[in-house]
Amino acid sequence: MQELDDYINKVKHLPPAPVVLPQLLPLLNQPDIDCSRVVEVITYDQSLTAAVIQTCNSAYFAGRSPVDDIQEAIQRLGFREVYQIVLAVSGARVLGPAQKGYGIAEGELWKHSVCTAVAAQLMAEDKGEDTSLVFTAALMHDVGKLVLAGALESIYAKVVEETEQNQYSLLETEKKLLGVQHAEVGGRLLARWKFPANLVSAVWFHHQPEAAKPHEKLASYVYLGNMIAHFMGYGFGHQAFALRGRAEALEILGLTADDLARYMMKTLEKFEEVQKLFGALKED
Amino acid sequence: MASPTIAGLFDQKVVVGIADLAVSNNPTLTLATYSLGSCLGISIFDPVAKVGGLLHVMLPESKIDPDKAERQPAMFMDSGIPALFRAAYELKAEKHRVQICVAGGAQVMDSSGFFSIGKRNYEMLKSILNEHGLKIHAEQVGGMVSRSMYLNLATGEVRLKVSGQPEEVILCRN
Repeated sequence: MQELDDYINKVKHLPPAPVVLPQLLPLLNQPDIDCSRVVEVITYDQSLTAAVIQTCNSAYFAGRSPVDDIQEAIQRLGFREVYQIVLAVSGARVLGPAQKGYGIAEGELWKHSVCTAVAAQLMAEDKGEDTSLVFTAALMHDVGKLVLAGALESIYAKVVEETEQNQYSLLETEKKLLGVQHAEVGGRLLARWKFPANLVSAVWFHHQPEAAKPHEKLASYVYLGNMIAHFMGYGFGHQAFALRGRAEALEILGLTADDLARYMMKTLEKFEEVQKLFGALKED
Repeated sequence: MASPTIAGLFDQKVVVGIADLAVSNNPTLTLATYSLGSCLGISIFDPVAKVGGLLHVMLPESKIDPDKAERQPAMFMDSGIPALFRAAYELKAEKHRVQICVAGGAQVMDSSGFFSIGKRNYEMLKSILNEHGLKIHAEQVGGMVSRSMYLNLATGEVRLKVSGQPEEVILCRN
């Protein structure tokens, strides 16, 4: 843990903490959501508040008269919808920029993360799980890459060599070359940002879900969501497919390889819909 | 929206989405498909009829969802390939002249076989082409990267953009 903190503390440009998200997430499961508490949390961030109101008034929710304050937006759309918008706005802010060390262009990590989240949520929905938690965990799973990208930039050739010639996964390569890897760094970062322990664990072990016990189900949704995003071409950067197949993720969730294919089809449909809401996503 | 430039009018890109296909004989067009992960992009071009097509297939076999294959044949290899060729034949392409290029089918590090969709897509493609006596002209398949693919209908040239690499590469020049 100290090693991870030391590494994170050394990095000059850390991504901005999405402070609103870990405060909203626990409110989602309360039977009687206190609207004023939600308003209080969201309005902490003025530009986020403005973005939520603007999104509520966007073409996606067309046909309604415009909303001009956050309370009205919550009442009209419901807390879950507003949470999705907050997630979209604050997630894009964190995950939008290019990550040169990974060969990831602007917007690509965000697109990858949204596709992962959509796929993970679809699987979780069918199993009757807490979809907002799964969606959030899957959306944030690669946040550790933002911390490591700078260090990888100058050793790109070594990364290619380790993955191609020595058959190391990207995660194993990071560990070998930098002493830390993006999944554990991301988990630690989310813990520092006060995200709940189950979400932290799922991100920490999103490449080896079995190790996330007792949160192995959550980690498996994230793992398989990530896999589906790669299959569908939303796995960007050099050597992006250097990740290990973990059949136990399917076993943990009681899914088959055919189910995986079916969820790819469902993800394709749903992803188009979500892209309309998450308007920041553009095709090149 | 910006007004179109003269050059823009003569260089239009038609985007083929995931599980979609396009065929045309309009030489001012480039057919493009993005984000081929484990999916395969298959381009065909008849240099005499100047007809080209591009298909972006996601899964190997339609038996997993026959209704879907009916509505969206480009989803699966075994329904997508016949649909691509049929559409090209309608524009007077001929089977013996058609040049086939293939890209995509990236593969994760998996010994279990549960995650080998890229490989299975490619195997299905090969078996369908073999059945019909067709050969692949040029390919860049497998590996650990996602790719975008472009077919220029004026020249039949096929280019690739590999994720993480700055420059496009030429896969095939007719």
